[in-house]
Amino acid sequence: MWNTVSKGAAAVERAVKQYLPPCQEQCPINEDIQRTNVLISLLPEDPSAAAPAILEIGDYLYDKNPFFPVCGYVCGLCELECNYHAKGGAIKRRLLKRFISDTYIPYLETREEWTLVKHRENVAIVGGGPAGLMAGYDLSKRGYRVTVFEASDRLGGALWLIPRYRLPERVLASTLEGMVRMVGMDVKLNTRIGQGKWTLDKLKNEGFKAVFIAQGTPTPRTLTFDRNPVDGQDLSGVMYGQTFLYEVSHGNIRPNYFTGKKVLVIGGGNVAFDVARTARRLGGETAIVALECEDKSSRDGIPADVEEIRGAWEEGIRIVYSRGVQKIIGESERMKGVVCPKCTRVYDEKGFNPAFDPADTLVLDGDVLIVTVGQGPDWTALQTEGLVDAHGRLSVDPVTLQSRNRKWAFVGGDLRKIGFMVEAMQDGLVAAESIERHLQERDMTEGRKRVFEVQDIPMRRHYLTEPEVVWIPPEKRMHFQLFERGFTLTEAIEEARRCLSCGPCISCKACVSIGLRDSLNPVEVLTDRCCGCGICVSACFYSAIQLKDVDMGRISVTDAFKCKACGMCVSACPSGARTLGEDPLDAAVITLAAGLQKQVGAGA
Amino acid sequence: MDDEPKLVCFSCKFGWGYLTKQEGLKDASDFLMPVECSGKLDAIHLLKVFKEGADGILILACEEEHCHFQEGNFRTVKMLYLLKEVLQAHGIEKDRVRIALSLDPEGRSIPGRIAQMKKSLMALGPLNRTLL
Amino acid sequence: MAKKPKVAICWLGACGGCDEAIVDLNEGLLDVAEAVSIELWPVAMDFKYDHLAAFGKDEIAVGLVSGHVRNSEHVEVARLLRERCKLIIGLGACACFGGTPGMANLVPREEILDTVYVKAPSVVNPEGRLPQVETPWEGETLHLPEFMNHVYALNQVIEVDYFIPGCSPPPELIHNGIRAVLADDLPPKGSTLAPRKALCETCPRNKTKPMRLEIHGPIRRIHEVEADPETCFLAEGILCMGPATRTGCGETCIRTNIPCRGCFGPTPGVVDPGSRFISSLAALLKVGTTGNPEAVMASIGDPVGYLYRFTHPVSTLGEKRLSETMEETP
Repeated sequence: MWNTVSKGAAAVERAVKQYLPPCQEQCPINEDIQRTNVLISLLPEDPSAAAPAILEIGDYLYDKNPFFPVCGYVCGLCELECNYHAKGGAIKRRLLKRFISDTYIPYLETREEWTLVKHRENVAIVGGGPAGLMAGYDLSKRGYRVTVFEASDRLGGALWLIPRYRLPERVLASTLEGMVRMVGMDVKLNTRIGQGKWTLDKLKNEGFKAVFIAQGTPTPRTLTFDRNPVDGQDLSGVMYGQTFLYEVSHGNIRPNYFTGKKVLVIGGGNVAFDVARTARRLGGETAIVALECEDKSSRDGIPADVEEIRGAWEEGIRIVYSRGVQKIIGESERMKGVVCPKCTRVYDEKGFNPAFDPADTLVLDGDVLIVTVGQGPDWTALQTEGLVDAHGRLSVDPVTLQSRNRKWAFVGGDLRKIGFMVEAMQDGLVAAESIERHLQERDMTEGRKRVFEVQDIPMRRHYLTEPEVVWIPPEKRMHFQLFERGFTLTEAIEEARRCLSCGPCISCKACVSIGLRDSLNPVEVLTDRCCGCGICVSACFYSAIQLKDVDMGRISVTDAFKCKACGMCVSACPSGARTLGEDPLDAAVITLAAGLQKQVGAGA
Repeated sequence: MDDEPKLVCFSCKFGWGYLTKQEGLKDASDFLMPVECSGKLDAIHLLKVFKEGADGILILACEEEHCHFQEGNFRTVKMLYLLKEVLQAHGIEKDRVRIALSLDPEGRSIPGRIAQMKKSLMALGPLNRTLL
Repeated sequence: MAKKPKVAICWLGACGGCDEAIVDLNEGLLDVAEAVSIELWPVAMDFKYDHLAAFGKDEIAVGLVSGHVRNSEHVEVARLLRERCKLIIGLGACACFGGTPGMANLVPREEILDTVYVKAPSVVNPEGRLPQVETPWEGETLHLPEFMNHVYALNQVIEVDYFIPGCSPPPELIHNGIRAVLADDLPPKGSTLAPRKALCETCPRNKTKPMRLEIHGPIRRIHEVEADPETCFLAEGILCMGPATRTGCGETCIRTNIPCRGCFGPTPGVVDPGSRFISSLAALLKVGTTGNPEAVMASIGDPVGYLYRFTHPVSTLGEKRLSETMEETP
């Protein structure tokens, strides 16, 4: 129905410096959010007519981001910066993507793979998580022969730790399987690099000309207090959150595993909440114990997302703020409880530096202790492979992701810096570009640092409130099905219409791609006619016009990046000093008028 | 067919008929012109159309709150208040210009709206061109 | 010694203000009188039309013509001037755009005659007699010019070479115009002998506008408020036609704390400044989240008069040309 391909007049342009809407600037991979929002808003209301168009939007998203179906369930970074945030609520972009994903996944499962020409070098990807797979996807499209080495028995890395009630298994599995198949990546499971048989040197000998190392952070952090490990972490009933979620995702935990048990989860991040809500669904009477305080606006505020906190609270999970764990109480080798002094401070100017008040201590009893205080990389492997510096820290150029010690090796993802899934994907894209430049012996840094300026919200009288998000009532949520209801077609169209297209035309061009407009020439000012009256400034809803004092006097100037070529200023200018170039409207009215005259003449 | 009133229809591409081919819309009326935003129409365009022989103008603009360019439709509504005063002073009834603020992606309602407006124009009779 | 170029100054449907402006050249008039030979100036000298008709084609170097065209005498004289003058300069708003009398185009001819000769409160005309083109009187026939259907601007009747706008034009502008003609230093034909941009370009109040000019209703008229003598009128909610009007008048109205009413007509590239300003006002008038657009727009008293005060005959709806045979379309 539409030609959504970014080609010709509909090509989304890249410039070294440009404006973007804040959502796209915030997205680590600068996804074309605005363009796809506009396309969704123009979908037909009839589901059968909309289906092919939804797939076209999906194809457009997929081309740049094969993880997009997963993003639609787990990522909403763009919403944090949405201009609508302060005016009625951010646009629910994640749910819009989920909407597309739900139609797209069945199609992806049977979609015919691309026939790519792989005429370039062999590249090894170490680590089959989002960073590695994204790099592999991008490099494959560029013509490199990619082999992914994954230590475990499945691709996906940390994505498998996301509970099913947030990310359905089919979505994750089909996404992973789909991208490997679409670009033809070679995958070697159960193959660990950096230990035993497989080393980086061996990869080199096998003919790999570059390697991207994104092994993630498989090692859970242990519980410490005052920089010393807390005693009792080897007691029965004590486990680590990461390991626990891993087991759950493998299906190794039966549904009522924690029934009748008191579960204490130590940690204040989203993963701790994932663990707690999972434990709750397995029947446990669950509490979270966090160092951080309840006030999210303070420096010591609990890091977990507001939605997670609300969800946990609704599900009957008790949250204990501002408490550390000094000691684990055991009895007969079994965990019985924890000693929790009050945490008076988590961070100071130097960073993480918790302080406690020993006089204010409480004891919490429990049967299970799940420690979820972070995870770290496999340092031995990094050391063995010579990727660390003299201080034992990872030695990587932060812009190019190239290892400073071994020039053909690149490092990214959680291994380099803990972050969100899409940040890992960004590292994958950066590494792919770096690898290509390295293999082609081109300059590594030119044009890498892209600076974006963020566009403000357009002006209008009324802003609309966000739609309500619908969750299943908490008492009906004690299973691992999704509890959040997604958008219907009508709801998706309406929410997409709420998006104000803050960003410039050159980074969108949705209307051109579906034939609504032919071109987007920004407005020209005829400076020999402009008197500087400023009426155009008032007419523009995008603040694209300013008055400037130049030699000839005061004139108006349009910022070509901000201009939407909508023509409001052209019609408002009393001197006719603005023009949209070869705008057909004037000519069309004249032709139409001539047609009218002919009719009048014929009738007379 | 000289009795048939000459109705010129301007329709906003972002709200009317974007799910059909624009050419198909033209079947609804000899004088239908799609524009990117009703706010792009200036008073001179509309006055010229009357001067050159139209009996009426129908503007199909987007729903309130849903102009793709924020408030072009509202700008047109404001402009029409003044335009109608000018028309009335020239002996052209205010009712000869109408604006519909709605959303019709398939454009199905367009032929009906045009027919309905033509009926109203017939009831008003031919445009009094004494002062034009 | 070369013969002095001949100049004709003539008024058609005029009030005499433009002739007054020429007189206001003061001492400059003496220079002009030295340099040229004034062959026709009904308001000031006693020449008759026959004197004008006696000249050969293009014998008169320049004709300064003020006033609109509304009756047959205007048409006849205008055509005669065009024949006899090498250059015709339309002088003043009436010649250039039709002027304030152009507002009469909104009233049918019959109604005008009826009001003036029959219905006006101070008129006693029980038989309802109207002036006739031909009236027999004592064995002869008296002729009066025909009162036409429509007020025309000069260039809708004859071809006009240059325009000097204003109601009335500033004497300096007229002086410069005459000097340019005498020195043969003229821009392309059809040009207006005045600056090219709109009034805001030269208005001393332009820089008092806020960054983003917005008018929140209701609109006020100049006699309803005490306007600040230094702030832009639009910024205070008082309508001013400055942005749609050519500059060159020296802002005489602005300086007496009166907003511009548009007597210098449109800027180059615009034909109908009144209609252009409709869209400008729609952009400027902000209604707010709960305001009623109709009420705000309705607060503009007499929008038609305000927008088209000087330019109705050249406006989109008012525009008409007089044919060769002087037949008017009814």
